[in-house]
Amino acid sequence: MTHQKHFKAYKRIVARTSAHCTSGAARALSETQLSRPTLFYTMAPYTLTYFPVKGRCGALKMMLADNDQQLKENMVSIEEWMKGDMKGSCLFGWFNFFDGDLVLYQSNAMLRHLGRKHGAYGKNDCEASLIDMMNDAVEDLRLKYIKLIYQEYETGKEAYCKDLPNHLKPFESVLSKSKSGFLVGDQISFADYNLFDLLLNHKVLCSASLDSFPTLKSYVDKIAARPKIKALLECENFKKLPINGNGKQ
Amino acid sequence: MAPYTLTYFPVKGRCGALKMMLADNDQQLKENMVSIEEWMKGDMKGSCLFGQLPKFEDGDLVLYQSNAMLRHLGRKHGAYGKNDCEASLIDMMNDAVEDLRLKYIKLIYQEYETGKEAYCKDLPNHLKPFESVLSKSKSGFLVGDQISFADYNLFDLLLNHKVLCSASLDSFPTLKSYVDKIAARPKIKALLECENFKKLPINGNGKQ
Repeated sequence: MTHQKHFKAYKRIVARTSAHCTSGAARALSETQLSRPTLFYTMAPYTLTYFPVKGRCGALKMMLADNDQQLKENMVSIEEWMKGDMKGSCLFGWFNFFDGDLVLYQSNAMLRHLGRKHGAYGKNDCEASLIDMMNDAVEDLRLKYIKLIYQEYETGKEAYCKDLPNHLKPFESVLSKSKSGFLVGDQISFADYNLFDLLLNHKVLCSASLDSFPTLKSYVDKIAARPKIKALLECENFKKLPINGNGKQ
Repeated sequence: MAPYTLTYFPVKGRCGALKMMLADNDQQLKENMVSIEEWMKGDMKGSCLFGQLPKFEDGDLVLYQSNAMLRHLGRKHGAYGKNDCEASLIDMMNDAVEDLRLKYIKLIYQEYETGKEAYCKDLPNHLKPFESVLSKSKSGFLVGDQISFADYNLFDLLLNHKVLCSASLDSFPTLKSYVDKIAARPKIKALLECENFKKLPINGNGKQ
């Protein structure tokens, strides 16, 4: 990249991040940097700090990929986390996401943030509320999944897979009434990335889980076939991550 | 007719924050109370999208999931921050309140007798982040200059914890004055003193 292109790219990135925060620090940075054309490191606006797992960040990565967004990933090993310094610096003792000066914890807050920024939160307030409802329902199922994986895998897996259809039925029902094939409205929303990610996890856990849900089955195929999602799913950096931190899936 | 209708069990449960936000904004709420007996028959449960209550109606819009209701009302009544940055921070705080509410619910419904002492002992670790955020806040609210749905939600949950672990706020002066300040808002005060609200048990199994 030429010097000029570097400068313009950096200006775009900094301007975009500072536009979204009222923080004085972000604005001050952009003003001083732009006045002097120098070679500098082009930084990604989004940074994710997390364990080296897919975990609660699959949907976020898919949404970013689908929107051609760069993501800088800081991977933290369990050993480093156990030392406690990083955990102590995290607001709720848990991992974070940076967008310029904005620091977010809570994976669903990150999904909503990116949904707002990238047109994946419905086209009006009504749709936004329905998307919220669907995402909260996905979160309910994700919590059950997490509980099984981390607390009850050996003893609870069979009963979990047997009960799973009861939890998939509402999503099948909503999607079968959808004209667009997405959960709400005409476009993909953060709730769709989240449900898609969770369904992929369940295909691994309970292999025949989608067999009696034709709409869910074609929903997963359709989203997996989106070119940028497909590219992400096939990319080494993504594929090599285990789904969960304890190696169970 | 009231534009808002809530269908729920005769408990405060997951609807305290919602009712406080509505009261604080002078909004009417029509409440359909469903007894456990009626619920156990199954027809109503079968008609609910995720087989659960509460159910909230705003005209033609039907919502399940209590946090989706809080966000919906937050959007409509100026309690979702003044820009996208604030909205994202409010989302984060509300999700943290929800995390603690899930622990509370698990204790109440699954582990009350055996787990209460340890829960109250561990509680300060979960209150500390909220004390920290609020102590840095100029407005005294979680995010920005105004009350948000996350504030109503945290306030409601702190009231539950004052009942459960009576000395829980003693080492958190900012949380203590936060609760007092919100409880003193005239329309919240009126709701907290009103018979219909006071008579509802916090939880469905009578434990608190």
